[in-house]
Parts: sequence; C-alpha cells; structure tokens
Amino acid sequence: MKRTFGHKAGIAGASAALAASALTMLASPVLAFASEATEAAAESEENPLALLIPNPGEFIPMLVGFIVLWIILAKVGWPTITAMLDKRVNTIKDSLEQAEAAKVESERLLAEHKAQLEDAKKQAAQIIADAKVSAESIRAQIQAKAQDESSAMIAKAQAAIQSEKKAAIAELQSSVADLSVAVAGRVVGQDLSDAQHRKIVEHYLAEAGSFDVN
Amino acid sequence: MSTDRTLAKAASQVYAANLLEASKAKGNILEITAEMEQIFSTVIGNVDLRNTLSDHAIPVTTRQSIASEVFAGYDEVLLAVFSVIVQRNDIMLLSRVAEAYLELAEQALGAIIIDVTTVVSLDDDLRRIIKDKYAAQLGSDVILREHVDKGILGGIILSTHGRRIDASVVSQLENARVTLSKRN
Repeated sequence: MKRTFGHKAGIAGASAALAASALTMLASPVLAFASEATEAAAESEENPLALLIPNPGEFIPMLVGFIVLWIILAKVGWPTITAMLDKRVNTIKDSLEQAEAAKVESERLLAEHKAQLEDAKKQAAQIIADAKVSAESIRAQIQAKAQDESSAMIAKAQAAIQSEKKAAIAELQSSVADLSVAVAGRVVGQDLSDAQHRKIVEHYLAEAGSFDVN
Repeated sequence: MSTDRTLAKAASQVYAANLLEASKAKGNILEITAEMEQIFSTVIGNVDLRNTLSDHAIPVTTRQSIASEVFAGYDEVLLAVFSVIVQRNDIMLLSRVAEAYLELAEQALGAIIIDVTTVVSLDDDLRRIIKDKYAAQLGSDVILREHVDKGILGGIILSTHGRRIDASVVSQLENARVTLSKRN
C-alpha cells in the first residue's frame, strides 16, 4: 500500500514535469509558427535547400526550451522516473524471488506430497497384502474348523446310526427271543400230557444239582 | 442290638414252640406249616396290611379282629398264635417264627421238609425218586410238601430252608431268552 502510494506520487511528479516542458515548448514557438510559416514558404520557393537549414531565430529558442526542458527533466523527472523504475524493478525482482521461492516451495511440497503419496500407496499395498494374508489365514481356519465339525458330525452320526442299529438288532433279538420262548412255553404248557410232564420232571431231577451245591 | 436279636430269637422260639405243640396235638404239623407260610408271606408282602397290624394308633382289639377277618378259614390254633403276635406287636418277627417253627417241626417229624412244585401232581415213583435222592444228599429222611403250579410250564422246583433248586421249564426258557437277547 505504501509502495503503491509512492509509485503513484512518482508518476504524478513525472506527469507534472512533462506538462511543464510541453507548455514551455508550446509557449514559444506557437506565435513564431504563425509568422514564420509564411516566411518559410516564401524562402522555399526561392531556395529549396533552405528548408534543411535551421532558422536561427527558431533554432535558438527551441534549443533553449529543449535545454530548459532537459534540465527540468534531469532535476525533477528523471530521478522520479528512475526511482519509480528502480522500485518497479525491485518489486518485480521481489515478486520473481517470491515466485521462485513459491515455486521451490511448491516443488518441495509436491515432492513431499509425491513421497507421501508413494508412502501411502506402499502402506495401502501393504495393508492389502496383510489383509489378503489374514483373509487367507481366516479362510484356512474356517475351512479347517468346518472340516473338523463336519468330520465330528459324520462320526457322531455314524456312531448314532451304529448305536441305533445295535439297539434295533438287540430289540429284534429280544423280540425274537421273547416270541420263541412264548411259543415254546405255550407248546410245552399245552401240548404235553401229564405223563410227559412227569417224564420231564424225572429227567430234570436226574440232572438237578443238590441243595448243598446251590 | 445283639440283645435285641437274642430277645427276638427267644420270642420267635416261644411262638414257634407254642404253635408246634398245638399242631402236634391236632396232628397237622405239615398243614399248619403250609398255612403259616401263606399267612406270614401275605402279611410280609402287603405293606398296608403290615402297617395296619403294627399301627399303635389302632386299638389292639381292632387289629386282632382285622387279622381274624382277613385270614378267616385258616387253622384256629394258627390264627390264635398270630393274634398274639399282633397283640404284642411282633409283626416284624414273622420270618423268624416261620424258620423256628420249620426247624422244630422237622425235629418233631425226624425229617427234612422239602417243598416240591410241579405242573402236575407227583406220582409215587417220582416221590420215591425225589425222597431217595435228597435223603441221601441231606443225610435225613425227607418229607415232601407238594405244590402244583401251572405257571412253571414244566419241570420241578425244590426248596428247603431258603435253598432252592429250580429245574422248571419256565426258568430254563427264561435263561434261553436272556442268552438269546444278550448274544450279539
């Protein structure tokens, strides 16, 4: 803001100097041009080379005006313009340096970000790899557990089937035995005569043990 | 405890001796034996009857009348002794009384009593075979108490003094059934 204010002040000073010099230049020759134009036109008609040779009456005021203008510009305009340009150069230089610094900073940040991105990519890849390994391990565990459970279930089912089979066989055997005994008992009880029963008693008596033994 | 057992045995002997004397007088030692075992086994096997006959809350006369009514028709001497047992609340001695009476009866008869159970009644030949066989084994004369039981299907069951020879068809069929059921 301060710099902008100085910059504007310099420009105003230079404009004032230029306006002064212009007024100086215009003030003197304006009147001369009116009279001298007619004279020059008459001379040119007489001597064409006269157009190339400066008229001292015009030249000297112009030179003085020029010199005055030069002095004014040298005293007032040039330092202001130079200071302004220097300031401008410095400003541009600072801006360029800042831009350069910003560029360096941005490059550094870019590199840093690239490194971070690369690191993040590596970490992501590592995470994915770890996740794959973990998933594979879990899958293997689940498979093993499922295998064990299925094996246990099969074994249990086979044991149950075997047990059921044995129970069924035992039940069948018991039923057959009961039926056989019932049939045998009915046959013995109904079909034997008293004499046959006595024969059986006699037979059993022969085989029966003693009271001492029992 | 030992004193209790001695007293119980003495009391049982007294009951048995009185019963034997009475049965001797009537000449029905064996019949009394059979009836006594029936009465005693009924009382021992029936919890309600046993508890009723030994319940102190019930007057003695009531318990005695219950016993008389339940076992009406049995030998009077036997019922009289049983009534005394109920009166003295010695129901728990019934088994001992039976054993003591059996021993005394065998001593009085000079022979060992063997219970014989068959499907049909024994004939003389079978009686002779049984007596000869077990008289030789036991070293004493044998008296057979015969029982007919169709439930044993056939064969014979002999028992004396708590020992038993089971040669019945039903037990042999049962053995066969158990063997068949176990074989697997």
